Formats: sequence, C-alpha cells, structure tokens
Amino acid sequence: MAKTSTSAKEDAGQRTTGNTSKRYQAGVLKYKDMGYWVADYEPTATDIVCLFRITPQEGVDPEEAAAAVAGESSTATWTVVWTDRLTASENYRAKAFDVQPVPGTPGQYFAWIAYALDLFEEGSIANLTASLIGNVFSFKPLKAARLEDMYLPPAYIKTYKGPPTGIVVERERLDKYGRPLLGATVKPKLGLSGKNYGRVVYEALKGGLDFTKDDENINSQPFMHWRDRFLFCMEAVNKAQATSGEIKGHYLNITAGTMEEMYRRAEFARDLGSVIIMVDLIIGWTAIQSISEWARANDMILHMHRAGHGTYTRQKNHGISFRVIAKWLRLAGVDHLHAGTAVGKLEGDPMTVQGYYNVCRDDHLVRDLPRGVFFDMDWAGLRKVMPVASGGIHAGQMHQLLDLFGDDVVLQFGGGTIGHPMGIHAGATANRVALEAMVLARNEGRDILNEGPDILVAAAKTCRPLEAALATWKDVTFNYASTDTSDFVPSASVA
Amino acid sequence: MKITQGTFSFLPDLTDDQIKKQIEYALEQGWAVSIEYTDDPHPRNTMWEMWGLPMFDLRDPAGAIGELKECRKLHGDCYIKINGFDSSRGFETMRMSFIAHRPATEAEYRLEREEGPGRTVHYKLQRVYA
Amino acid sequence: MSMSEGKDKDKVKMVDLQSLLQETGVNEVLDELDRELVGLAPVKTRIREIASLLVVDKARAALGMEGTRPSLHMCFTGNPGTGKTTVAMRMATILHRLEYVRKGHLVTVTRDDLVGQYIGHTAPKTKEVLKRAMGGVLFIDEAYYLYRPENERDYGQEAIEILMQVMENQRDDLVVIFAGYKARMNTFFQSNPGLGSRVAHHIEFPDYTVDELEKIAETMAAELGLRFSATAREAFGEYLELRRQQPNFANARSVRNALDRARLRQARRLLEAGHVDADMLVTLEDADIRASRVFDESREQVNGGEAAC
Repeated sequence: MAKTSTSAKEDAGQRTTGNTSKRYQAGVLKYKDMGYWVADYEPTATDIVCLFRITPQEGVDPEEAAAAVAGESSTATWTVVWTDRLTASENYRAKAFDVQPVPGTPGQYFAWIAYALDLFEEGSIANLTASLIGNVFSFKPLKAARLEDMYLPPAYIKTYKGPPTGIVVERERLDKYGRPLLGATVKPKLGLSGKNYGRVVYEALKGGLDFTKDDENINSQPFMHWRDRFLFCMEAVNKAQATSGEIKGHYLNITAGTMEEMYRRAEFARDLGSVIIMVDLIIGWTAIQSISEWARANDMILHMHRAGHGTYTRQKNHGISFRVIAKWLRLAGVDHLHAGTAVGKLEGDPMTVQGYYNVCRDDHLVRDLPRGVFFDMDWAGLRKVMPVASGGIHAGQMHQLLDLFGDDVVLQFGGGTIGHPMGIHAGATANRVALEAMVLARNEGRDILNEGPDILVAAAKTCRPLEAALATWKDVTFNYASTDTSDFVPSASVA
Repeated sequence: MKITQGTFSFLPDLTDDQIKKQIEYALEQGWAVSIEYTDDPHPRNTMWEMWGLPMFDLRDPAGAIGELKECRKLHGDCYIKINGFDSSRGFETMRMSFIAHRPATEAEYRLEREEGPGRTVHYKLQRVYA
Repeated sequence: MSMSEGKDKDKVKMVDLQSLLQETGVNEVLDELDRELVGLAPVKTRIREIASLLVVDKARAALGMEGTRPSLHMCFTGNPGTGKTTVAMRMATILHRLEYVRKGHLVTVTRDDLVGQYIGHTAPKTKEVLKRAMGGVLFIDEAYYLYRPENERDYGQEAIEILMQVMENQRDDLVVIFAGYKARMNTFFQSNPGLGSRVAHHIEFPDYTVDELEKIAETMAAELGLRFSATAREAFGEYLELRRQQPNFANARSVRNALDRARLRQARRLLEAGHVDADMLVTLEDADIRASRVFDESREQVNGGEAAC
C-alpha cells in the first residue's frame, strides 16, 4: 500500500489501493488512482452508503467505473486540479469500497459507495439528490446506472422532521383501527364539474369508504376550478360524516404552478375543515418539504401521489429504484404514499412491492434481498408512512390484498367503486363489507389466502352489492411479467 | 341510519362467539383488551367512558366476555366497544376497536350549516333526539 | 350411539386409549413429575387417575357420546415443602394437554391477593385475579386465611362468595386448587361447607421419609455441583432424623436450607485449609454437617421462631 508523501493528514486511518503518490500532478488519472476506490473501507457510523447498479461501457473495468461514480458524485473532475489541496480532500471524496456482479446479468455490477456526513446539508432532500444523482447518471463511461438502495445513518435521519402525522396519529384522528382504510379516486379522471364531482364523493363516502381522492392531474382546469371542487367536496364529506357518524375525508389536490398558489389552496382546504390534502411528486423536493412543514403546522394529513415516478423507477438497469424514492419521501415528510398493489393494473412484483411497504412502515429495516432491501437500517424513530395501494384492484382480490399488505395500508378502488353496476354507493358498500368480512375471518384464524373466495361469497349472501361486484369482476386479473423483479429470487406477478 | 364506527360495523352485529374470537386474536397479539361505552357517539368524541381498566394480564377471553356482559347490564342503552391496545415500540396505540353492543335506537345527527364569506359553509353535527 | 348397539359398529369405531393418551403428550409430563419429585406415591397415583378419567371422556366424545365434564376443583393438604406448588404447576399443564382447560397457565395467590383493605375493595380485587386465571388454574395457598370469623371487619367472606359462584357457574373457565395444612383446611371447609362441597378431589401430600429426604438432598447437592462424602452422607441421615422431629420442619425446603448452611461451613473449612484441589471443592465432609446446632443436645429446645439449622 503506497502512502503518499504529499500529505500526512491523508494517510490517517485510510488504506488505499491504486497508486496515489502522483495524485496531485497535473493531468488525467484513473479515478481509482485518485482515491475514490478504497477496497476495504469500513463505513463509519455516520456515513451514508449508496448502492448503485452500474453497467459500464465495454472496456471499462468495474472497479474503475465504481470509482468514477464515487468521484463524480462527490469531488472529482475529469482532470487533476491543484485547488483540491486547499481542502481536507480525503474527507469529501466518496469511497467506492465493493463491487459485485449482479447475479444472472452479465455486464451489470452492484457498487457500494460511502459518503461522509459533511457532504450534505441537514434536512435537505434537494441537496441530497443534487449531490448523489445530480451529475453521475449522464456520465459517458457508464452505459446505464441505477440508484438501487441507500443506507441513511441516524445522524442524518435526525436532521429531518419526517411525516407530519404518521400512521399512528392518523388512525387516532380518524378513530379507525384494526383494518385497512378504504379509498377511491373520483372517475372520470377529467371533465366533471365541481357539483357533480361532489356527488361522486358523497355517494362513495356514504356507501362506506373512508376517503375519496382527487386524481394527480386534477388541479384547476377549465372544466372545474379548484375552489369549486373544494367547496362541493367538503359539503359531501360533511354530509357523509353526519349520516355515518364516522370521520371521512377527501384528498384535496393542492398541486399548482407556484408555491404561493399551493399555500393558498392548502389554507382554503384547512379553512373548510378538511382533514387531508394531497400533492403530486412532480412538485419537486423543495416544495414537498415546504408543504410537509405546513401540514404539520396545520394538523393536516399529507397524501403523496407518486406521479411521474414511472419515468425513472421502472427499468431495472437505469434510473432510481422506488425504494429510494420512498426513503426520501419518508424523510421529506409525507403521510400517505402510493407504493404499489402487486395485483392491480400497474407495475409491481409482489416481493419488491412488499419491500417498498417495509420501507414505509418499519421502525427498523431488515436486510431482505428477495424484497430488494439491501441494508439493515434503523429509522431513528421517524414516523411511519401509510402506503397506498391504488390501481385496478377490486373487491374480489380483498384476500390477496389483506394477506400481502396487512392492516396499515389504504386500499383504493376507483373503478372498483364507481364502475359498480348498482352505482357508486353500492360499490363502496361492496368494498367495505368485503374488507370487514375478510378481517373478521383473518382474526378468527382462517386461511384467507385459500378460503378468501369462499369468505367473500358467504359475506355476499347478506350484501347484494358485494354479490354484484363479485359477479362483475371475478375474472379480472392483470397478468403481465414485471419489469422490476428482485435479482435474488424468481417471482411471478400474482394472478 | 346506523353509526358505522369500529372495525366491523358493516357486518351483521357480532354474536358473543364472534366477539370472543376477536378478543382471542387480540390476546394472541399481546394486546391489552379494554371496554368503553358512551351515549354520545359523535365522530369527534374519541374518549368514551372506560369500563374498568384495560385488562393487561388476561390469558383467556372469558374474563373479558364476563365484563362485557356486566357492562351490557348496566349500560344497555349505550354503545359499547371493545379495544385492543398495543404497547410495543412503533405503535403504543389502539390496534383494534369494534362495537360490541348498540342501544335499541341508533343515535342520529343532523348537519348544521353556517354560511361564511363567499360560498364557504361551516359545518357542525347536531344530535337529533327522537 | 350406545355401546350396546351392533357389535359391528363397535368394531369399526374402537378407540385406543393408550394412543389417545400418547397423542396428548401427557405421559411426558407424568414422567417428568416422576423424575422431578421423589416419593409422593399417592399423589402421583391420583394424578394418573385424573388423567385417565379425562382420556376416557375424550374417548366418549370421539365415539359421539355426550361428554360429562367432571368437576376438578381440588384441595392439596400437607406440610410445607412437600411439593404442592410443583404438582399444581404440572397439573395445569396436564389439564391443558387433555383439553380440560383452554390455556393451561397457573396463577398462584394467597389471601392478600384476593381480599381488600376497605369496603368495596375486595370484589374488584378478586375478580381481577379470577379474570387473569381464566383458561387456566388458580392456586390459592393457605386458603384458610380467607376466613377470619374473629375479625368483624374482615372482607374475606366476600372473596369466598365470589369464588364459590365462579367455581359453580364457570367450571368451563377455571379450575381452583386450594392448599395448606390439613387440619386447618378441614376447619376451613367445615366453616364454609358451600366451598367444601365444590371441591371434588382432596389430595394429601405426606411428609417425606428420611430415605426420600436423603435422595432429595443428593439431587439438590448434584444441582449445586456438590457431592456427599460417605461419612457426610451418614451424618446427614442422622441430622434429618433429629431435625424432622423439631418444629417448623419444611421437608424439601428444610433440606435445601441445611445444604446451604453446609456449603457455608465447607467454604470456611476450605479457606482455613488454604490449598485445595478439585475433589475437595466439590465434596461436603462430615464436619460440614455435624457443626449444626441440631446435634448439640444441650441446646435442643422448642422455640416458636426459627428452628436450629
């Protein structure tokens, strides 16, 4: 192990492979030789660790590629610069310390890279992302790169406030325990005016759902101005509360073109007495954190729709895995997060989706490769995010959903409620009865995965809406091969 | 009109046998079972009256069912619910709550509207007594 | 279906009682009891009888006959240290394996756990204990303290009333075992005949013989990693003969105390010796036993307090 004679500080506690003795002479060096590859580096208790899935260009050595990623996501540039020596540079260099081939995929490698705490501003996802993914993904020597998973130390997690409400407090505010929550997105996605939109909300909530939801692209369009939507929806919510005696809610989408407009809409929602508001992922990290703070200050549950994530989370070889997005969102502070259904119309292999749910709900993540969880990680007491399963699910799948996801989840049946042959109210009742019957049976110790269909049929005997729902949708499944499955276990989409 | 609070309100009223099985489930999870009652099921009334303390060391539902029967005798005109409380880290909250007894006539609420500026309305639930 | 109907039917539906017993795993518990507790022959016999009774009941159920759930409330009488609590624990497990009680846990209480200090305190206290014990076995030690007729303000009677009610009406939910000195239990049941009539099984726990006590001592010593030398064993036998005639003899517990005292003396002796080998460390010698005041006849007197050790 060559030690450089240029700096005594540099040697302290660091062993390198690669020749660093000519480190600061002008010219172009391999990243490995610039100190970005440290073969037996042990991450400290305060280091952040990223796991990248890299596909180097032909002829590029994987360790060099990993070192390049480390370099380009921290301090390097393509040539040596003398100004490096004005800094305690070894502190700021990210360290790639391990590279493993991905099982079953030649040319692809997992690379582990550690980053010192000093690199990041406290409580800023904007800074975290700018640092880690701001630069490196466009880098030519890589054909493709994906940020697969991240380890965040308690020292970093504690700089965030996290979800403004969290699962426990949400349930205490709604006074609803022991079962998943039920929701539905108002359909059609576009075109309804405020009053008619409110009607859908009223029927669905009265029928038995806990929540209804604006869709991600419902903001304030010619066919419905946001104020009218808010007014008619809150009338619907309150009427439904009066008839049922339950707390009800409608996720009012406050997404807008500017922060100022978002605050205006959020305040109106609060003044009308809504318990919950919603934003879309595409508003950006800074806006998300701001709205999260506002939600906390105004006792508002914050629902996050992951609009747009599919552009970069879906392909295994390039982009950012959704589990990383989920971790960032829990830090930034959301209370609900769409995390996949596994059995519905949208992408998501069951094991991987369960991994996302664990990221949202666990106090302590346990390394679980088949579920795509690569790191043991403690959430340092950060509140828990309620995952939302939404997209092409219906009452006939209730046993699968309950078995996959447990109680702490919002199950959203948009088409499954509004498309019911007997109407929206009946659709909502069918879902609610199916769910309660399934929870009752599960608690009694029955094998719901196998007996599920029988349990639903039995419950349908005293509930005609459920009977009709089962008859209408019993053969509907979404059976396509998932594009994003774990490398560590063969798994098929659930039928 | 039916007050549909609690986990199983959309199903037919639970029999004592079904209630016993739910309590059994709560005990298996290590939750403390407790009984609460109220004559005011307003949705914002989250604090019903406690029927005794939570039963922390119960091993078998029989004890809880006995208490439920006693509560029914004394407060048959109230709503009675059975709860399961989880004291483990990460929860420290109720994990189960369902209505185990309803009064002969359900409570009813009427929506009161107070008009505000613009088209805003402020809402209140008013109890209706037959 | 009765036994007298068609021999063919009987042939088809035969129940193998031994294998039924085997399936429940009760035999393991009985064997463990045999190993764990020295002597107690009449007790072990009675337990096996109860187990047989319940297995026969299971067989009746298997053949579609009406079950007659027997009352199994019990009373264990005997001096302290004769194994009553240990047997109660095993009984709870056995009853659970034979599906007579639902959960099989044991809740051990004395009067103070059941009776309150002021008006209105007793009923909730007793009910709390009963709730905890349901599904299992309630073991009430020195039960006769519940009844204090000489004290007008005593609330034990209330606890007794509640107990009787549950013993009668909730036999499916709870088995009660009373325990204590024989004479005092007899008086207690005579004064509370309602309670006594609900106890189906009275089991006496006789004092151990000297041989049995010696065996217990050997087992206890082995657990402590010690052994008796030949002379020490002889001395201990003599010690037991003397000690058990003195007041407050608590059988196995007294053996345990004596052993602890012997260890102390051994330690002092070894320290004075200075250099020791492994053998010396594990062996109790004659001197460690004979140093007991029990052997000092001049000091032998009856005092109501702590006996000589």
